[in-house]
Amino acid sequence: MIGITKNFPGVVASNNVNLDLHPAEIHTILGENGAGKTTLMKILSGMHLPDAGTIIVRDQTVKIRSPQDSLRLGIGMVYQHFTLVPELTVLENLILGFESGFFLNLKKAEQKLKQISAAYGLTIDPDRKIQDLSVSECQRTEILKILFHESDVLILDEPTSMLSPAETEDLFDTLRSLRKAGKSVVLITHNLSEAISISDRITIMRSGKNAAELSGDMLMAMDEKTATNRILEVMFGAVPEPQPRVAAQHVFADETVLELRQVEVLNSQGAAGLKRISFSVARGEILGITGVDSEDRRLLAEVIGGQKRTTAGQLLYRGRDITLTDISTRFELGIRYVTEDRINEGCVIDMALSENTILQSYYRQPFSRFGILNQAGIQSFTGDLINRFGIRAAGPDARVGTLSGGNIQKFILARSLSGEPGLIVCSNPTYGLDATTVRLIRQFLREESRQGAAVLLITPDMDELFSCSNRIGVLFNGEISGFMDHSVATAENVGKLMLGIGE
Amino acid sequence: MNVFLESALITAILASAIRGTTPILLAALGEAYAERSGLLNLGIEGMMVAGAFSSFTVALKTNSLLSGFVCAAGVGLTLGLVFGILTITLGVNQIVVGLGLTIFASSMCSFLHRVIFGNQFPILFGAGGTNEIPLLSRIPLIGQAFFNQHWLVYLTFSMVPIMYVLMYKTRFGLRVRAVGEAPRAADACGVNIYGTRFFAILLGGLLASLGGAFLALGDLAFFVPDMIMGRGYIAIVVVMLGKWNPVKVCLGGLLFGFALALTSALQVAGIKISPDFILMTPYLVVIIALLLFARSTNLPSALCVPYKRGSDGQ
Amino acid sequence: MKNVDFATFKPAALSIVSILFSLITGGIILLAIGKNPLIYFALLFTRGMGSSLGLIETIIKMIPLLIISAGLLACFSAGLWNIGSDGQFLIGAMLTGWAAPWLADSLPYPAYLVTIAFLGIFGGMAWILLPAVLKARYDINEIITTLMMSWLAINLVTWLVKGPINDLSTVPAQTTVIPAVYRLPMIPFTRIHAGLIIGIATLLGIHWVIRKTTLGYQFRVMRMNKKAAIHAGMCVPRLTVYGLLISGGLAGLAGAGDVLAVKGLFQAGWSPQYGMTAIPLVFLARLNGWAVIPLAFFFSFLALGGEFVARDLGVPVFFVHVLEGLTLLFFAASEYFEKKWIPK
Repeated sequence: MIGITKNFPGVVASNNVNLDLHPAEIHTILGENGAGKTTLMKILSGMHLPDAGTIIVRDQTVKIRSPQDSLRLGIGMVYQHFTLVPELTVLENLILGFESGFFLNLKKAEQKLKQISAAYGLTIDPDRKIQDLSVSECQRTEILKILFHESDVLILDEPTSMLSPAETEDLFDTLRSLRKAGKSVVLITHNLSEAISISDRITIMRSGKNAAELSGDMLMAMDEKTATNRILEVMFGAVPEPQPRVAAQHVFADETVLELRQVEVLNSQGAAGLKRISFSVARGEILGITGVDSEDRRLLAEVIGGQKRTTAGQLLYRGRDITLTDISTRFELGIRYVTEDRINEGCVIDMALSENTILQSYYRQPFSRFGILNQAGIQSFTGDLINRFGIRAAGPDARVGTLSGGNIQKFILARSLSGEPGLIVCSNPTYGLDATTVRLIRQFLREESRQGAAVLLITPDMDELFSCSNRIGVLFNGEISGFMDHSVATAENVGKLMLGIGE
Repeated sequence: MNVFLESALITAILASAIRGTTPILLAALGEAYAERSGLLNLGIEGMMVAGAFSSFTVALKTNSLLSGFVCAAGVGLTLGLVFGILTITLGVNQIVVGLGLTIFASSMCSFLHRVIFGNQFPILFGAGGTNEIPLLSRIPLIGQAFFNQHWLVYLTFSMVPIMYVLMYKTRFGLRVRAVGEAPRAADACGVNIYGTRFFAILLGGLLASLGGAFLALGDLAFFVPDMIMGRGYIAIVVVMLGKWNPVKVCLGGLLFGFALALTSALQVAGIKISPDFILMTPYLVVIIALLLFARSTNLPSALCVPYKRGSDGQ
Repeated sequence: MKNVDFATFKPAALSIVSILFSLITGGIILLAIGKNPLIYFALLFTRGMGSSLGLIETIIKMIPLLIISAGLLACFSAGLWNIGSDGQFLIGAMLTGWAAPWLADSLPYPAYLVTIAFLGIFGGMAWILLPAVLKARYDINEIITTLMMSWLAINLVTWLVKGPINDLSTVPAQTTVIPAVYRLPMIPFTRIHAGLIIGIATLLGIHWVIRKTTLGYQFRVMRMNKKAAIHAGMCVPRLTVYGLLISGGLAGLAGAGDVLAVKGLFQAGWSPQYGMTAIPLVFLARLNGWAVIPLAFFFSFLALGGEFVARDLGVPVFFVHVLEGLTLLFFAASEYFEKKWIPK
């Protein structure tokens, strides 16, 4: 790819980017969120059209106008959000788009699947529906799909963000065997250590441009520490201070804010989701909860926020039983749930900021009286939020959709933090945000806990877990597999708990 | 003598049920595809009216029933195309387009009817005939009911297994299902979302229009402005209850056909009910059916959502 | 909420363009059937607006449209689709036709008027209750259920008027005529009945509720992002029922008003289908109560003119509905341009 340029409204996503790929190599594109890695690869896979630049495949200049074009050239991409049809089976998904003939030949497809499974060591049951598969199984299906179409180039976008450490290793083994078979793999990630451990070459991107390239020999020559620092230097221009671990002085261990007793919740399939969950969070404490299963994490957040009912057990807030209390009352009491789904649940993207401010509190003073909205009060409050939290927006009347992802999250958090919350439950709060905003948000959370709020941080991100939490809890299979204090927690022992391997 | 009368009555009811089911079933089969691909076609009612009117007028003017049906097919495809261009190519709100199309088509047909025929309501003689299948029609009780019907009835019911196979065992059906569930995923696989949806809505328009044509040419032999009377929407309900599965849709359609037939039978049997009351039955049946059966509807996830590539571009 | 004035120009222009396009297309259709569109439209305008009689008739005709539109404004703002307003209208009308004659005798005039109003509202609400509950509890598509109820209503009231509530002293099937004394009062110095005040009041009232109250706010959030509404703790089922009941009640009120003020009786086979007109109308007005008023005037004037012209030129009355359908289609198409024009 030479001189690729791509503009989106308001943003230059790719600016004259160059990239080359050799056969049988694992080439990682590294960069911060927003650096333009995904956009670049989406151009290669046919999802976006470049505004300028050329693409040369096997010495021939090509035009890639659609996903079909790129697949025909032997390039396949596994996206961050899976491109599988939930209602269909694995086999049906594999042949989708490339069916031979009018009638579906499932037998032939199944045979081909067996061949490929044997060749690369990836097995999956062909008749299961996608919606019943786990995240890593879905990923495996996606990779199989690309191999099914005899692609030589596989692009993986942030494949490890939802995998446990063990599953990540499995994935890397798969990538190595693909490389042995002569395939090329492009890996997009922002995870330095993973990039260093698996890559033959690393291209670093920053703000939509090429920043540097590290070739294989260079990587071999450096040890991990040096490589990390070199990369960080390129990405940020300086080696940042290592994030300080949290000091635990301000925890009021005897004042319990939230307590769960033997809580059970049904998942979306109607089966047992969370089982016998018991724990408590004290005033001033940040409890980090992690786990492999994203639905379990969501169920935990929602059962505390009030969107989901328990089927057994009790929830207590400051000693008061809130098991049957509705969402609004919980909000009144001081429970603030910051959802992971910012765009779809956290705000109404087509409405103005001021209209979003009152989403959970429209019935309270000063926002309304006797059912009539108080515009002046809403506007001034929103303006206040914008100033205090440094949200970059045109004003209280700006549509939420005009804000960047980071600012939207800042706004949602700001809204929830107002009014002296007693308990803040945030789910994956810094996902997909740039480093500065991430630091800022973690600061907010620490500040709130310092001021006496209890914080429940539910996240799959290890870095986040370690940077903020006083205590760490792990969910496995719908139950708590263990707790540990931050001082003794390491990626290894937390990772083990995530897989249910003893304590 | 009584036994004879009763069996004749049963046969008559069955025959009437099959006849009554046909237009709804035809429209429903097409709508199943449209909805499965993600398009809620509220214009189905208008398409049926258009089919009825165009086929009737053409058949009357050209004295050829066949040309009437052909014309209806053309009209159905055209209206389906219009719906498709607005909702697929332009990506505009499907509900508004569907309602607009129905209002336009229905009033256009009433308008044109008045223009062409004035205040009269001519009847097409020679319409409404049946094609009897020898031998099979001799079977007692059901023979006359099932095997002495209009050719379009035979066609419609034989389409049910064809539609089933099409939906689940062919490339087209797979793509339709994928496009309605997860268009982004299908697009990434290289499936042509727009093309697949266009095919689906053209099919929907064609079948809906033919359904209306059957009502005009094969059943009633005339056209009045309100003759479709909500059958298009009943077809939508039938599709919903049948969970977009052609075979289940057929069963649902038969349910309505029977309900309609039973009420007319009541009249025949001499029970004194006002015709207005009888006219209410289909709608009552719909509501009761919805109450009983429509508790959990797993709508195709992309139903009613227009697709734009890269719309969630990052 | 403040940037309403600047941004409204562009959407308003698009609405006007939609109407123009539908008129042009209508003209082409007229040409196709051999009528001169220019004469048609000229007659239309002169009859509708040229005389004070025409003007007054238009205003009277637009009153039920205003009230139904107010109801639709409420439920559309919540993302709910009440397509069966014609049925609710008829129920309210039928109840009024049946009850007014003997209520008028037993109650003092003001109380009688209020009772009739309640009867109309109650009738409309009762008729939409089932669809509302089905939607709220089981998420059953309200377009279908309200439509079914609407057809049910048409046949039900026809049967009732031919039967139990028929005034046997008259030949056609109809209810007893309400004496002029017991009809809605006129606005002083005009021949327009008080329904106009009610119409404009309800319309602007609903408009205000949607924009300025917490209930309206909840409706708007529900329409723009249902997930967020649920997540924030808004009780969506309850709001669904409220929204639909309001629109049903107002449709019923419109029916009551029309019988009480204009017709004085309820007869079989009468179904003016204001609801069908109101749907595209409210869309064209971009869910803005103020914009509904001129648009309602325009559509009524088209309809009225259409009736006159039908007799003179031989263009069937249905033509007006054709124009309405076209307008809705062009409006839908204009949404495409709106997305391109107005940066969102």
